[in-house]
Amino acid sequence: MSSMAIARSKNTDVERLYIWELPVRLTHWLNFFSIIVLSATGYYIGHPFISVAGLARDHFVMGTVRVIHMYAAIVFTLSVLVRIYWMFVGNDYARLTQLIPFRRERFRSFWKTAMFYSFMRREAEENAGHDALAGSGYAMIFGVYLLLIATGLALYTVDVSPSSPFQVFNFLIPLFEGLQMARLIHHICMWIVLIFAVIHIYFVLLASVAERTATFDSIVSGYKFLSRRKVGIS
Amino acid sequence: MRVHGLREELEHQGISRRDFLAFCASMAAVLGLPASAGPAIAAAVENEQKPILIWLEFQDCAGNTESLLRAGHPTVADLILDSISLSYHETLMAAAGSQAEQALTQAVRDNAGKYIALIEGSIPSDADGAYCMIGGKSALQIAREICGGAAATIAVGTCASFGGIPAARPNPTGALSVADAVPGVKNLINMSACPANAENITALIVYYLTLKRWPPLDQYRRPLFAYGKSIHDNCERRAHFDAGQYVDAWGDEAHRHGHCLYKMGCKGPATSQNCPVVRWNEGTNWPIGCGHPCIGCAEPNFWDTMTPFYQRLPNVAGFDVGSWVDPVGLGLTGLVAAAAVAHGVGEIVRHRIGSKASSEDGSEAE
Repeated sequence: MSSMAIARSKNTDVERLYIWELPVRLTHWLNFFSIIVLSATGYYIGHPFISVAGLARDHFVMGTVRVIHMYAAIVFTLSVLVRIYWMFVGNDYARLTQLIPFRRERFRSFWKTAMFYSFMRREAEENAGHDALAGSGYAMIFGVYLLLIATGLALYTVDVSPSSPFQVFNFLIPLFEGLQMARLIHHICMWIVLIFAVIHIYFVLLASVAERTATFDSIVSGYKFLSRRKVGIS
Repeated sequence: MRVHGLREELEHQGISRRDFLAFCASMAAVLGLPASAGPAIAAAVENEQKPILIWLEFQDCAGNTESLLRAGHPTVADLILDSISLSYHETLMAAAGSQAEQALTQAVRDNAGKYIALIEGSIPSDADGAYCMIGGKSALQIAREICGGAAATIAVGTCASFGGIPAARPNPTGALSVADAVPGVKNLINMSACPANAENITALIVYYLTLKRWPPLDQYRRPLFAYGKSIHDNCERRAHFDAGQYVDAWGDEAHRHGHCLYKMGCKGPATSQNCPVVRWNEGTNWPIGCGHPCIGCAEPNFWDTMTPFYQRLPNVAGFDVGSWVDPVGLGLTGLVAAAAVAHGVGEIVRHRIGSKASSEDGSEAE
């Protein structure tokens, strides 16, 4: 018996659907952990609140923090690039069309969700993947990720030797009007990501609790519980 | 020509052969060559036909000229640059007025396509260049004329290299760098810094004399031998940076111990030059060496992006962003978290009202 038949036999139209493929879930968690590490180490690099006493040769606090920051940056960069690649080759829920409301019904979904969140609509929109509002948020945050990576690489070019292959990124420095502006953008972008994280976690929790779609668990399991009627799957 | 006059000139000034060879060895060091390159440099400097140097000053403070002259005793470098090769230099030459203009015209005519133009100061372009006129010609005209006929142009100092302080916002005179004022200028080399280090200018000339070509440049057309590494990477206080030992206030214990000036706004990590190695005033000292943070004077837009000098992050015109970006970021994150909680409360209320309404609906139906 197929799962559909089971669902029907239980007289419910809720179905367990595979939404998030492995690369989506994996890059999500790599981003999660690397963002935590990058923000913590980055904050220290910007504001070294720990100062050590004694001889310089006995300590390597900033050095260690910076090394961790660089390794986490490698993980983050590769993870973001893999996820962007997956926007073009992944399933329907991972695609760019989920992130940017190109189509009219996605644009309508954007407003419906915005109305729901601002208490101007009774019922939540139910989407198999992202709702259009969330999708736009993710599109924006991937732009910020790319800006973080670009400013980070620009800053890194002065850290390495003039003959390092990383020097291919030094064309970025004038684009940001110099390293100091790149640094400022790097800071601002970190705060945008952290603010995004708060909003993201809250709305995922809300969807999970209010809509009972197991959205929160789905980023681990890949499965959501969806009403076929609302999502429009027959 | 005074081609063979160098040795006599040096002796006349009381500079021995030994001093001269020591100078050549130090030039080799600045250029990153082994000490064995010293004799080759000595031979080149002594025997080669000297390049004709024409030094022009535009919108500037003559700081680079001062840097080159360095008060105190004349050095070998001074002699090579001033006495032997410098055909025209507004501040240094004896001639004045129309005599000076004649000297310039003649030097340019006699050495067309062979001389080296050294430009100090930015070039104002607004009001048809009226902000800087010499002998009835605007700086823009003169620069295009002189640099156009030069074998190479050396922009001395940050103003000539990138516009510098005159080009800082709001740039009232429309000040331009040499690269922008003279499009397509041949063999342009930027020797930025405020002022440019005389040691590096001399080394650049010596490099050209010895190897008959110009050195490899970075993306801002600055020689890699002088601008290839950041101040931070060669800094004598780098160990304190990596260890986590920072000055928090002027004159505190860390400052007295010579710890890292990063938190005092040091721009060493954003600035490329060889100050920590070559130092200033004949190797006497340099800013960080005497407890002051680097202000990043060798970088493009330094007055706009390296200020405030005693702060880590820059300000953006109109907003005092740099100082508050992190506190505000932290505050906003907290605010958004609070808003999320408030929204959550709103959702609970909505849910309650909704379920009450539906149960009422239900009772009505029954």
